[in-house]
Amino acid sequence: MADAPERRFLFDGAARSARSGETLLAALTRGDLPRLQRSIRYHRPRAPVCAEGYCTGCLVRVNGRPNVRACRYVPSDSDVVTTENSWPSPRFDMYGAFDYLFPRGLDTLHGFRRPAWATRAYHRVIRRLAGFGRPPDATAPIAAKLPAVRTSVDVAIVGAGRSGRAAAARLVEAGVRPLVVDRDLDPAPVPGADLLGRTTATFLPPPGPDGFTLLGFQEPDRGVEVLARRVVLATGAYDASLLFGGNDHPGVLTADGALGMRDASGRPPFRRAVLVGGDARADAVLGDLAEWVEAVVAPGPIQPGLVRRASDEEIPLYPRTLLLRAHGRSRVRSVDLRARGGGTKFSLDCDAVVLAHRRLPTPQLFFQVGARMQWHGGTGAYYPVLTDSLATTVAGVFAVGSAAGFLGPASVESGARAADAVTDRPASDGGALARVPAEGPSELEGYYRELWREPRSGKWVACPCEDVLLTEIEEASARGYRGMEVIKRYSGVGTGLCQGRYCLPDALLVLSMLEERPPSDVGYITQRPPVVPTPLAAFAALASTDRPPEAR
Amino acid sequence: MSSVARPSYRVVVVGAGIVGLYTSLHLARAGAGPILVIDRGFLSSGASGRNGGGIRQQWETPATVRLARESVAAYRRFGREFGYNPWFRQGGYLFLAENEAELAHLRRVHALVTSEGLPSQVLSPEEVARHIPGLAPGAVVGGTYLGSDGTLYPFPAVWGVYEAVRSLGVEVAFGVEAQGVEAREGRVRAILTSAGRLETSAIVNAAGGWSAEFSRRAGLSVPNTPTRHEILATEPMKPFLDPMVARVSDGLYFSQTMRGELVGGLTLRDGAGVAQGMPSSARFLTEMSRALVRLVPRLGSLGVLRAWSGFYDDTPDGFPLIGEDPRQRGFYHANGFGGHGFMLAPATTLRVARAVLGEPTDLDPNLFAPARFLDPRRPAPVERLQLG
Repeated sequence: MADAPERRFLFDGAARSARSGETLLAALTRGDLPRLQRSIRYHRPRAPVCAEGYCTGCLVRVNGRPNVRACRYVPSDSDVVTTENSWPSPRFDMYGAFDYLFPRGLDTLHGFRRPAWATRAYHRVIRRLAGFGRPPDATAPIAAKLPAVRTSVDVAIVGAGRSGRAAAARLVEAGVRPLVVDRDLDPAPVPGADLLGRTTATFLPPPGPDGFTLLGFQEPDRGVEVLARRVVLATGAYDASLLFGGNDHPGVLTADGALGMRDASGRPPFRRAVLVGGDARADAVLGDLAEWVEAVVAPGPIQPGLVRRASDEEIPLYPRTLLLRAHGRSRVRSVDLRARGGGTKFSLDCDAVVLAHRRLPTPQLFFQVGARMQWHGGTGAYYPVLTDSLATTVAGVFAVGSAAGFLGPASVESGARAADAVTDRPASDGGALARVPAEGPSELEGYYRELWREPRSGKWVACPCEDVLLTEIEEASARGYRGMEVIKRYSGVGTGLCQGRYCLPDALLVLSMLEERPPSDVGYITQRPPVVPTPLAAFAALASTDRPPEAR
Repeated sequence: MSSVARPSYRVVVVGAGIVGLYTSLHLARAGAGPILVIDRGFLSSGASGRNGGGIRQQWETPATVRLARESVAAYRRFGREFGYNPWFRQGGYLFLAENEAELAHLRRVHALVTSEGLPSQVLSPEEVARHIPGLAPGAVVGGTYLGSDGTLYPFPAVWGVYEAVRSLGVEVAFGVEAQGVEAREGRVRAILTSAGRLETSAIVNAAGGWSAEFSRRAGLSVPNTPTRHEILATEPMKPFLDPMVARVSDGLYFSQTMRGELVGGLTLRDGAGVAQGMPSSARFLTEMSRALVRLVPRLGSLGVLRAWSGFYDDTPDGFPLIGEDPRQRGFYHANGFGGHGFMLAPATTLRVARAVLGEPTDLDPNLFAPARFLDPRRPAPVERLQLG
């Protein structure tokens, strides 16, 4: 890579360079966690968390276009990149004073009502705080002048991970050429299949008479419309977030984020992280990042494989431990911990917290298409109801891989089995595949119950995209509002850019505790399209008529 | 699972949206006796939790203008009255005309609105462009604007009225469906619900998109039709647009919320009723995006964050049904708002409550009385400004 040509761009007025093909985030990271954004309400310092295009930690303005995710953008020569939503800079932002002025939060639901004559001034101030970036420049190029991608296929596969690839390979064997859609910026080819990379399937409505219409978004600007007779959903899983004090401080990363940033720039943006998690995922992450991990902390027990690996690396283990708080407003510098069951509180110095404690399925398309979903208490997530041949309750939609609850070898096997069902071949071997347990409760439910008895310090951010504090959820509940849908409307939790990907799973457990009923009774938020923010121009390029429908 | 506290009530209101809640508020304030509000869903699950929050006073008939003006006054004092801040921002309402015929229509509205004492303006294309930064050249021939119109957050308004009625002793039961009405000698005796039979002498049908279905279950034919309308929100931006913008030709409307999101919709006629549920459609996402980008090209790179839908409760003449149904004494309509329930609720529900209490109202029966559709010879004014 060293001899690859460099791209030169301007970052807040300074000349920077990126290796060819490297993302903007990787170019700005260079071993240290870049500080690119401030949070939407309190202007708290934020840094990238997920490095896969969902969190708000890497939004920048590129050539007059706001909200470009640096982790998903490959810079070109002479790009002009600027940070937004802070003054004078993301590292030192005057608006950050709001965070200190309102230590218990800004109550926009009940506050700012008096005196009447101040109404306009309140409106002006609050509007100015909102929003991540300025609107697009009039001159911002809209590459969606590119024609949209429109294609019609027999079988579309969403996701080119292990299970999606296994499904594709088996279909190819059977003489079917599927179209595989994948979010990866540069996915490896799928032999015998068509592949659309950099493409997120954002909307899969229930089928019409001619089959499915899958809308997608190929970054940075292109609209994608795939007509398909059958759809295999292999949307995968992701590392969830966790509630603790200062859980939004720069340096708190999901394992996806830590690995993604390591892959993009060669080493992770930390030196001594606390790795959170005790099962196979944490084990795998430790295998990749051991050199930069200071300690392993798990909400529950730690599985033997991980114990062995940590011992080999001489990394201390803290099983069944509460993570109380991360200190370090502009960069994590330590965490407060307490052994569950009433141990004494202690601290560990660290420069990052890597969350690998809970891997959740990516369920949006299942909900959108109308597949019946089932609560799996062990994971604390919804999975599609499936037949033995992995058909969902919507005819023509199949579910494979971790999104459907098949992990490890079962994941690959599920892909092949769904492909057999798609091509009406008898299943090679009968019997149900091993799936994540439906029985609950998850370890985290007991964990949160215990955590709730602890005194709290610092802001606990329940929804980082919208800066909704945990206390706001508790207040809504105390006022008698019940159910996820109502609490979402009351507090705003889950209405931000990640569409609830990171906040809802925890909010569901919290509400289950507060409402004293199982999480599945608390409900779930309707999964609204699009799955990721999609430029208006990309959708516009897919409009079927030249003019909007005629006037009333 | 869901149940109610008493076997009988003075009034049962069907629908805990803004119209039903406000109606029960006026009734409770007048000391009407035990009041129950039932709703088949959860609080804010219907159109009251799904609308774009537009509040305007530009209408085609003086009666509607006056009701709207009263509602604007109510929302201005809402925060101080109810303890919740709906962030009612009077950034104006800007109607766009794409041709001379539409502009002539808007001029007539303007003439009426100004005759009611509201300072609306007719704008040239240049003046329109000053309100919409980045407006495509040649996109409009003009428009009308009224600065005291505006937008609000529907949710805090719902919470505020909900908590107010509860503190006045009104019972609100969710997950309870209205299934029918028991009447004798043309008079309401009881309402049949999923929580059982409840004796009452007054039922208010404030069920929004589901009102026609409930009226029919009560044996009353009504001309209301629920129509699905979709809406989308973009990523939040720093403030750049003050007014709510609404286009006459296709009902395109959008405004920028306090949070910075652009929220808007477009009228698509696909004939979907309540039975089809409330899904979003690819057609809406693409047509709406195209309409917005054509009108304001610079928005092209802005991300669509989410889309959802809800029901308008439309009537053939564009006026709501307000008051008692002459075919069944004790059955009151507070429906048919055609997507404007939120903006008209505070004022219209006061009339509904008066009707329930047997007091005279100042509403023109030709425009609002539920009986108007029963008389084929009546004069038939129509409210066509149904957008935004």
